[in-house]
Amino acid sequence: MTSVENVLLASHGTEGSIAAAHMAVRMCNKGAKLHHLVVVPTLWKGMTGDDWLNNGSTRNTFRRYLEGQLGREIDEHCKEISEDAEQHSLHYTREIVVGEPEACLLSSCNNSNYDMVIMGSPRPKGKSGIRSRMPTEPLARSLSIPLLIVPYPNE
Amino acid sequence: MVYTQKSSALFIIGVIMLAIWYLADSGLMSPYIEHLAYGKKYKYLSELTTIPLYFGIVAAVIGLWQMLGKHQPGSWDYYSSTIAGGMFILLIAMLVRWFVAPEVAVVSMNMGKIGDTGKYLHKLLGLNYIVLGIVIGIIIVNVFKVPLWAENGVRLSRLGLKSGVILLGTLYSAAELVNLGGLSIIMIGFFVLGSVGMVLWMGARRKIPNSMAGVLSAGLGVCGVSATVAAAPVVQAKSVEIAYTIGTILLWGVGCMFIFPIIGNLLDMSYVQFGAWAGTGILNSAQVAGAALAYQPDGIETLKVAEIFNITRVLVLPIIVLWLAVWYVEREESVTEKVNVGRVIFEKFPVFVLGFILLFALSTTGIFAPPQHYKGKYFGNTADKGYKESNLLKAETKALLLAEAPKVQRDDRKAALQRLIDNGKIMSVSDDDAIRGLINAKVMSKKVNKVLKKAHKSVRHTAKKVKAFRQWITWLFAFGLVGLGMQITLGSMKQAGGQPAIIGGVVGFTKASLSLLVVMLLISETI
Repeated sequence: MTSVENVLLASHGTEGSIAAAHMAVRMCNKGAKLHHLVVVPTLWKGMTGDDWLNNGSTRNTFRRYLEGQLGREIDEHCKEISEDAEQHSLHYTREIVVGEPEACLLSSCNNSNYDMVIMGSPRPKGKSGIRSRMPTEPLARSLSIPLLIVPYPNE
Repeated sequence: MVYTQKSSALFIIGVIMLAIWYLADSGLMSPYIEHLAYGKKYKYLSELTTIPLYFGIVAAVIGLWQMLGKHQPGSWDYYSSTIAGGMFILLIAMLVRWFVAPEVAVVSMNMGKIGDTGKYLHKLLGLNYIVLGIVIGIIIVNVFKVPLWAENGVRLSRLGLKSGVILLGTLYSAAELVNLGGLSIIMIGFFVLGSVGMVLWMGARRKIPNSMAGVLSAGLGVCGVSATVAAAPVVQAKSVEIAYTIGTILLWGVGCMFIFPIIGNLLDMSYVQFGAWAGTGILNSAQVAGAALAYQPDGIETLKVAEIFNITRVLVLPIIVLWLAVWYVEREESVTEKVNVGRVIFEKFPVFVLGFILLFALSTTGIFAPPQHYKGKYFGNTADKGYKESNLLKAETKALLLAEAPKVQRDDRKAALQRLIDNGKIMSVSDDDAIRGLINAKVMSKKVNKVLKKAHKSVRHTAKKVKAFRQWITWLFAFGLVGLGMQITLGSMKQAGGQPAIIGGVVGFTKASLSLLVVMLLISETI
């Protein structure tokens, strides 16, 4: 297995991306940098679009709640990876951005010299979760560094 | 932060509006207008020669200022940033109402009537300016994206819809509101409680988490996305549960907005029946207004019925949210916070309904039209009350009515029809009501119904203020629905799935079909 020093992990809490996170931690040498990129997809912006009956207060409550809920879910996920990374003596950093997953990943890659990008494979049909799939083929074409797509974990 | 974009977009929108006005007013557009009219009178000419002029000047002047002026952070800057988006929606609504929808109608009429239905494709599918406006809004946001300079203004569409509902308050008579209110309380009460209960029951059977069952029951049972937004924090829904629920509701709502008018047309439903069905059976409140206007784009009888149902739903919302809060607290041991009844009711109360009630109360004082006017319309079958003698029925028309008179069953309608034949015009308010009922019942041939409609229109005159309200309401809803279309993303609709899609499918279908059955069996043609 190849050892790497500076890895970009694209993961947002699905089972596939958790598998990718575990793989990333195990692939890195001691003292390596693991940068965790969490993308909150822009589709969340459209979630209240159709609501017109509620007053501003209800909508603000919902927005605050949704932000808090997404924040809690991301924090839990990051905490798990951070603890795993600490155990393996890695330098863990995280970055949370709102946007289109593919564009955010490319932008993050352009801003730093990573050795590799690691991400999970798409969720199999029938598995629950947010539908915000990243097209891997155009992504692989656009990246100038290796891309590792970790297989979805077996049940 | 400065919100107003230094962009030429608003100025260009203003210039386009002014160009439309100039082309229409100068007659340069006449050949195209004749083509759109398809041998009839083009009904939007007066709008074409006024509305784009006024709004064009406003957009061009403010656009110039936005493009060249300096902008400082503050409240005025925020309000100013909404103008470009608002004008963008308005321009789309104008183009669709005046040109796109008539063009679609011309193409459809050139194709001929569809099979046994006896209807043109655009009538059958309800492809009018409202539906096309929503579709174009959806295309804009999903294909081209809403431009940055328009983002703040697009949110104004909610204000448009709420203002439309508030103004609608001027068009109800007290009797109508009592009858429709009573009917909607019974229908909504039954179907809301029924579907909330059904979702909770199915949720327990399918072992979904309480938070998902809670948010789903509000969304599917009450008023769609708005109820989901209101209930999600109360039942502590997870993000994926919210996404699933909203996706399912949006998919159903948009689907129903297209399917309901087609079914209504095929079943020849009356405006009251369709309004009641759409108001009960469509999961999402935004699409209720869309479907009602799709079914009757040039009148607001269907919208009036549907909106009373919508208002009843939204008034039920705080109660359902409260119920779900108590239900959730009882089932989740981890939740220790007590439900604050007063706070829930206060926060979820739809304030705009008070505006609707206020305008209704004002209209009953006769401020908009004399109290003896029914819904702002008054009866007049003499020259001094606006009746034109040229509208008197001709001998051949009377013969046509006489030939179909045996089809009429009810005595009051029979008598009214006979008096119309004898006198050549409708003789009293009660006769007019009976004739209107006869038209809505659709028991006569189309040709006779056309004669009856003409006879009715010639004795019913609309008060000027009420006429203006009707036009404003139509525009406010068109504006609001185009803007809402611009906020319906495929990304959110794609989230439909999982258990919510299964439960939503079963409950949505049951609600739509059962309410159709109830409406067809129990609701008469008029209120």
